[in-house]
Amino acid sequence: MATGRYTSDLEEGDRLGPVDVVISPFQVREYCHANEMHQPCFQNVPNPIVPPTMAHLEKLRFYTIYCPDGCGPNARVHYTFDVRWHGALRAGTPLVVEGVVRSRYMKRGREYMDVDITMRDKAADRLLVEYRDTVCLSYREAAKDAA
Amino acid sequence: MELSPGDEIRSAPRIMTRERMRWYVDALPTVEANDGRVHFSVPTIHDDDEYARGQGLPGIISDGMITTNWILDLLLRSFGTQVLEDPGALLTKFVAPVYEDVPITCVLRVEGVQALPQGGQRLSLKVWAEDGAGKLVTVGTAAVKIH
Repeated sequence: MATGRYTSDLEEGDRLGPVDVVISPFQVREYCHANEMHQPCFQNVPNPIVPPTMAHLEKLRFYTIYCPDGCGPNARVHYTFDVRWHGALRAGTPLVVEGVVRSRYMKRGREYMDVDITMRDKAADRLLVEYRDTVCLSYREAAKDAA
Repeated sequence: MELSPGDEIRSAPRIMTRERMRWYVDALPTVEANDGRVHFSVPTIHDDDEYARGQGLPGIISDGMITTNWILDLLLRSFGTQVLEDPGALLTKFVAPVYEDVPITCVLRVEGVQALPQGGQRLSLKVWAEDGAGKLVTVGTAAVKIH
């Protein structure tokens, strides 16, 4: 287990959570507003749909809990967002969210990390969202290409 | 809507302004705090020029989740928010940085159309975001059910 300091310390197999989560209507509205998604299902109903892109914030939640000192020596860069949803997730639904560091690997001289996250309806124990997040941990190398 | 493989749906271009990048950056701590007030992020490569240059970049770049959300927005505008009620998937990879004031167009290209026995169709799509010169900055796939 390599949690407790930097995200760059996380190791393959590290378990994140489970944590109990309830996403509020405010959180959905705010996130969607920031992304200019003004659909009524996000902004105009008492129990808005949580956009599947918000699964990314569950990774950030785990970083806050398990990696309180930040990213480590180099900034990390988000490389891949990969989500599957199995039905509508609505704000206010009690959830159980958990994750696992699926792998760390080198590719073309850079180090990557995959984290798998699931979001389940707590009462029904029903899988609602599966998310795989891939980050590049050696950002300065990546930035050379970007510059 | 009749769709066939090869059909493309393109968004109107949006300029990736400094404000749009900052809206996303500050949405993250605001959503995390969930107290109804605005919270501001620590400096990031997405909103602080000096910090970005310190990471080897010529200036701030957008968070990849902005183009991902704009692609999701185009899916919802094109096929309706029902796509979030049925199982679906969205994968995006961030293949090039998006700098300040770059125009971004999101595109959905139909790759496959499968009639479902219970009614409706399953669409397989290539998705991407491109800059004003047609250079790809975000690439991926999506699968949604339409009625």
